[in-house]
Amino acid sequence: MPNSTSRWLWHGLAVALLAVFGASLYIASKRIDYTWRWERIPQYLISTEGEDQKAPFDGFVAVSEDGKQLSMTALRGSETTSFTDFSRVLVSNGDLVFEGDVLAKKDQLGPGPLLIGLWLTLKISALSLVFALMLGLVVGLGRVSKNPAARDLAAFYVEVIRGTPLLVQIFIVYFFIGTVLQLSAFAAGVVALSVFTGAYVAEIVRAGIEAVPKGQVEAAQSLGLSGFQTMRHVILPQATRRVLPPLAGQSINLIKDSSLVSVMALTDLTKAGREVVSSTFSPFEVWFVVALMYLLLTGVLSIAVRRLEKRFAAQG
Amino acid sequence: MNATTDTVLIEARSIEKRYPNGVLGLKRASLSVQAGEVVVIVGPSGSGKSTLLRTFNGLESITGGEIVVDGHVLHQRSADLRSLRQRVGMVFQQFNLFPHLTVLENLSLAPVKVLKLSAAAAEERARALLVKVGLSDKCDCYPSQLSGGQQQRVAIARALAMQPAVMLFDEPTSALDPEMVGEVLEVMKQLATEGMTMCVVTHEMGFARAVADRVIFMDAGEILCEDPPSAFFDAPKHERLKTFLRQIL
Repeated sequence: MPNSTSRWLWHGLAVALLAVFGASLYIASKRIDYTWRWERIPQYLISTEGEDQKAPFDGFVAVSEDGKQLSMTALRGSETTSFTDFSRVLVSNGDLVFEGDVLAKKDQLGPGPLLIGLWLTLKISALSLVFALMLGLVVGLGRVSKNPAARDLAAFYVEVIRGTPLLVQIFIVYFFIGTVLQLSAFAAGVVALSVFTGAYVAEIVRAGIEAVPKGQVEAAQSLGLSGFQTMRHVILPQATRRVLPPLAGQSINLIKDSSLVSVMALTDLTKAGREVVSSTFSPFEVWFVVALMYLLLTGVLSIAVRRLEKRFAAQG
Repeated sequence: MNATTDTVLIEARSIEKRYPNGVLGLKRASLSVQAGEVVVIVGPSGSGKSTLLRTFNGLESITGGEIVVDGHVLHQRSADLRSLRQRVGMVFQQFNLFPHLTVLENLSLAPVKVLKLSAAAAEERARALLVKVGLSDKCDCYPSQLSGGQQQRVAIARALAMQPAVMLFDEPTSALDPEMVGEVLEVMKQLATEGMTMCVVTHEMGFARAVADRVIFMDAGEILCEDPPSAFFDAPKHERLKTFLRQIL
């Protein structure tokens, strides 16, 4: 073990190397003649644009001098209407407008496309994680079951899912199962991600159960506990502690894998990033920001799991 | 010593254990244990003494013969192991306490889940047993916080919490540091004097001599002889037993 001074030196070296790496990235971007426009990014995180006020029918608009009042009269007939909930008028007094035209905008703070994408990513990951854990527990128990049929089915599922790419599974779920069962893109995404992650969770659960010493089962059975009671009160509580670290890793993978659902017309964080790139032409900034947002999600999860592990460890 | 009644609690009739690879673990072993009797099984390692003991509560299946334990019949395909196991307590070499539960929880898990005792009644029973094994101050400890000897005493109390008719001990002191062997044997002696029916696989010859009603010698899956301890140790009849005693004493 190095002493504490030299340990800080080594940490310092790591930071310095990272700084050199960052600087070389910056210099490289200079050489390809790229203009960094970070100022374009915040509007895609937090949008100030609010609801539109649209014309309900064809007609003429009347705008007061100070722009505070807006009303319109129908082209045919004598119908009139006035608008109150707006902050900017986009038309002038006397303009002829048609049904659906935007007359005024209401400015209000709201989430921008990237934050909306982040929210979808969070939602789809969280839902998929819950289903994947349930599926993984059931299949994992099937893997260690005494019943050969349960073992075969569980092994078949795990092998098929682990042996095919997630992207292909997403296409199959979306285009085949989604069409047959009329699933929405969101539901298809949750199904694909849960089924995929469930296979890995099942293997983690199996390994966790098998890692509990055989003597524990013998002791429980000698006391007259049933197979279910042994599993529920003796094996699973001990397995839980063992599977927490690999499960955390798998959950982080799930969040990252969820970026693949962007192929199904689902505006998750990755899809939102792509859309923002096409409207800003600032791919570097956008993808750095998107990466950072994923890192935020996975980082929070890592910390939460570490807390949980500590609490389990304290149990002796 | 303690054999006061002649109720047979364990009756093994020429049981046989053949492993899938064809090796015979037990060869036509017959044994009967009366209520209140303390039977100690000794023999070289690999002689099948643990296997024999473990057949008595169905942890080890048999491929021939028949065992009757407290009225429950065990064949090759035995049915109701659960109700049998409630009547047979087992203490393991490696203690096998539940590491995620406190001492008190270790003792009350089975009485609550299997005997459907109320939590309060189970706790009361557990506390009384912990006093008995001298660990009343360790109720809220986790097993990892106890010494080996303490853990084994908890394991004995855990088995007793089911109020079994028979207690099986599978080398209960073999995993212990020498200075802790005594405290465990002390608890076992106390149990014996209280009239508990016990089957003990052990290498502690002193315990066998002092506590056993009968000592059984096993070698290569066979029961070679059974005698009261005095005859067993002082006038061994069997050639292989003589060799065995020479090696260990």
